[in-house]
Amino acid sequence: MTRPSGRLPRFATLLAGAAIVVAACTPAASNAPSTGATAGPTTAATGAAAIKYPATGEVTCPSGATAGSYNGTEYKGNLKSIEAPDASTVIFNLCAPDVAFLQKIAFSVFYINDSAWIEKHAADGTIKDTMNGTGPYKLDAWNKGTELTFSKFDNYWNKDKYPLVPNAVLRWSKEAGARLQALQGGQVTGITLVGPNDFDTVKNDPNLLLAPAPEGQALNTLYLGMNHDDKPWDKLEVRKAVALAIDRQRIVTNFYPAGSEVATHFTPCAIKYACEGPDWPSSGTAADIQKAKDLLTQAGFPNGFKTKIQYRNVFRGYLPQPPVVAQDLKEQLAKIGIDATVEEQESGTLIANANSGKLDGLFLLGWGADYPEVTNFMDYHFGGGCTAAFGTCYPDIATPLGKGNSTTDDAARKAAYTEANTKLIDDVPMVPIAHGQYANAYLAGTEGTQVSAISTEVMWAMKPPSTATDPNTVVLMQNAEPIGVYCADETDGESLRACEQSMEGLYGYAVGGTDVVPVLATSCDPNTAGTQWTCKLRQGVTFHDGSTFDAQDVVLSFAVQWDAAHPLHKGDTGIFEYWGGLWGGNLNPPPPATPAPS
Amino acid sequence: MSTAVDAATGTPLPAVGAAERRTSRSLWRRVLAQRPAVIGLSILGFLVLVAIFADVLAAYDPEKSVIGTEAAQFAKARAAPCIHALGCPADRPEHLMGLDGNVIDEFARVVFGARVSLLIGFVTVGGAILVGLVIGAIAGYAGGWVDNALMRLMEVILAFPALLLSIVIVTILGAGLLNAMIAVAIVAIPIYARVMRASVLSVREQDYVTAARAMGDSPIGILVRRVMPNALTPMIVQGTLGIGTAILEVAALSFLGLGAQIPTPEWGQMIGREYNNIQNAAHLIFFPGVALTLTVLGFNLLGDGLRDAFDPRLTR
Repeated sequence: MTRPSGRLPRFATLLAGAAIVVAACTPAASNAPSTGATAGPTTAATGAAAIKYPATGEVTCPSGATAGSYNGTEYKGNLKSIEAPDASTVIFNLCAPDVAFLQKIAFSVFYINDSAWIEKHAADGTIKDTMNGTGPYKLDAWNKGTELTFSKFDNYWNKDKYPLVPNAVLRWSKEAGARLQALQGGQVTGITLVGPNDFDTVKNDPNLLLAPAPEGQALNTLYLGMNHDDKPWDKLEVRKAVALAIDRQRIVTNFYPAGSEVATHFTPCAIKYACEGPDWPSSGTAADIQKAKDLLTQAGFPNGFKTKIQYRNVFRGYLPQPPVVAQDLKEQLAKIGIDATVEEQESGTLIANANSGKLDGLFLLGWGADYPEVTNFMDYHFGGGCTAAFGTCYPDIATPLGKGNSTTDDAARKAAYTEANTKLIDDVPMVPIAHGQYANAYLAGTEGTQVSAISTEVMWAMKPPSTATDPNTVVLMQNAEPIGVYCADETDGESLRACEQSMEGLYGYAVGGTDVVPVLATSCDPNTAGTQWTCKLRQGVTFHDGSTFDAQDVVLSFAVQWDAAHPLHKGDTGIFEYWGGLWGGNLNPPPPATPAPS
Repeated sequence: MSTAVDAATGTPLPAVGAAERRTSRSLWRRVLAQRPAVIGLSILGFLVLVAIFADVLAAYDPEKSVIGTEAAQFAKARAAPCIHALGCPADRPEHLMGLDGNVIDEFARVVFGARVSLLIGFVTVGGAILVGLVIGAIAGYAGGWVDNALMRLMEVILAFPALLLSIVIVTILGAGLLNAMIAVAIVAIPIYARVMRASVLSVREQDYVTAARAMGDSPIGILVRRVMPNALTPMIVQGTLGIGTAILEVAALSFLGLGAQIPTPEWGQMIGREYNNIQNAAHLIFFPGVALTLTVLGFNLLGDGLRDAFDPRLTR
């Protein structure tokens, strides 16, 4: 199912005119602040409705291992500038081709806000509590601790198609059992993440419908990580011994829902280029255990050693039963003499410890796709700006990844990811274990049921069955409350899902799918070098507060995230973690920050 | 003080403060005359036996899964109980309470859980009594500002809901079974301190204490020889009731992930790890739940019975 294109731009001329007026009211380039750092979108000196960011100064691109610069500060990012030659066109200039450009702008973090809205609400700090998007539903209220309520947006540009029912409610419960009970009791239309052992309960209930991720489409990975800056993981033999000792098939067979797979590569194979190169070697057999023991002896640990297995008790598609898997790993490692204690850490603490390289034992973490591209998995973990969780970056993995993310040449990408995957096996920064199957559940008869590989279930494409308590309200229950609804500055899937209901980007993902489709843009096309993307904006789109969508909104929505010194670079935490991870770096960069596993 | 009459024999009871005059035989008889105490004792006796003979009773290791040692079609996580006597096929390995989420024999875990829980109960309450005894004795005997300071401190602790305060303490100390026990013990101290102080106050001005003092007994000697025996009875009653509460509180902390850690077989933790599976594996909540209930019930019944048996004012 794809989102259809909207109506023809009836008011295009009028809007362009309006944009010129708006643009003309902003300071001209010659009057812009002297530092580009704080420059907002400004008109070009010609007086036409052209906007450019940054308005002053030139961004020098990074080349090879040398960082670029802007305004006297180091610049590591790949975005060179954003321009709006007129009110209905936005041009993104890149330093190097970005193979995942469309996937990135389709990601909910880069959804478009009205420029006046950002100016008002980012400044006063209320932007994280309320939304003003262009989507089919507008947010009516966020009753903290209870629910978000949405109602139909009457001026939606595609109102003939969406939403399917006038009202929607987003609820949450972190207990899989409680979610299932709410569904069984008919209080909700659908739930995300059915408990791994409740698949059959749902299947056998004639009133319910199980919506599992399509076969092989579970875009997530569980891994057992090791920080090679710490002892004893600094010894390659030890890391290899751990990899050999773990019977990964045993974990998937016994503790994962049917349909889950043992990871042959770090990135799930449904993603292009993910599975170039050899499969992860077999492990866990008696011969492997013996080999592992020999390796430990070589490393100077003939009697093994004591360590920890650290995990967070949070239900994710890649790890539906964290304590169970942690306990089984402990039992398995005992076979080669590694005496591990199992240590549960609070979710945020574990993530913070991982990102700062403070996890000194083994750790169970995973990754769920933000968008289905191999760079989303590989670059964050092992690329040039790799996470500190595994210690200092492995240069022999980062180098091929750098080649892979900057070319669109098929053969070159294949070669790059073959090399990266081979080096992963050689260096063993972690042991990929599983791609976990997961499922949503809905009341039987619900229309438009979705289970998204990238957590983008949208209620505006759902319709409860006529027998539901309230057939005009679709109620979705997810596994946690959103942290904030200014998704530019959020990383958790639960916040992003809230944004999906009400906000839109230049591109978006097909309902329930992973293909990108134009939404607020009618098209985005690259030049032949792949370094310039020109997006034509849809006309006749209004925000929920009545303001008109134009190029200035796009430029500012990106600029406030990009420029760390922008006066409106404010949100929930002010870190805007995804920007750095996806675009390489900020203008006027703050101390390094990276996105957390979602 | 009115003279009470023994329900069983009809003979007048000795007055309060004369506990030492009771023979242990009559005391025993009075306890056995209390039906709740008998039921409580039976349950606890059974539990103690289970705990002692856990190795014999359980055919499986409580921390080791049966994956690889049993046929794959049977060794499934959260498999339902298989009891041969109740018609489970003989070729299938017998698991009286099924298998848990880690494919470990649940019966072994519940049985070894008795060991853990009893240990938790006795150690926690023992520790609390020891500290409470000292604080209560000092406060009661010293009186004045020492009494005031100590008792106000105890009241501050009492003012917090027990579980909440334990959570705070565990958060500071770090999760773990030992820390959870320390937390629950700290929270329980005021109860015993107050009981001890009350006993001390009630006998401090008695003639025989004055006599002991006149004969040159040291304050410590008077506390240990004259005062402590009087405090013993209410302490035992309070302690017995407290063991049930302590086990429950540690189980609650473990349920929340703050107490016993993987893979220790502790009932609260076992329930906490499986409650989301109540619809597909109810046995994993039912059996540890029943064990926990029985244990707490046993201590509470015994405690109630002891209180009734020791309290001369209660007639039946």
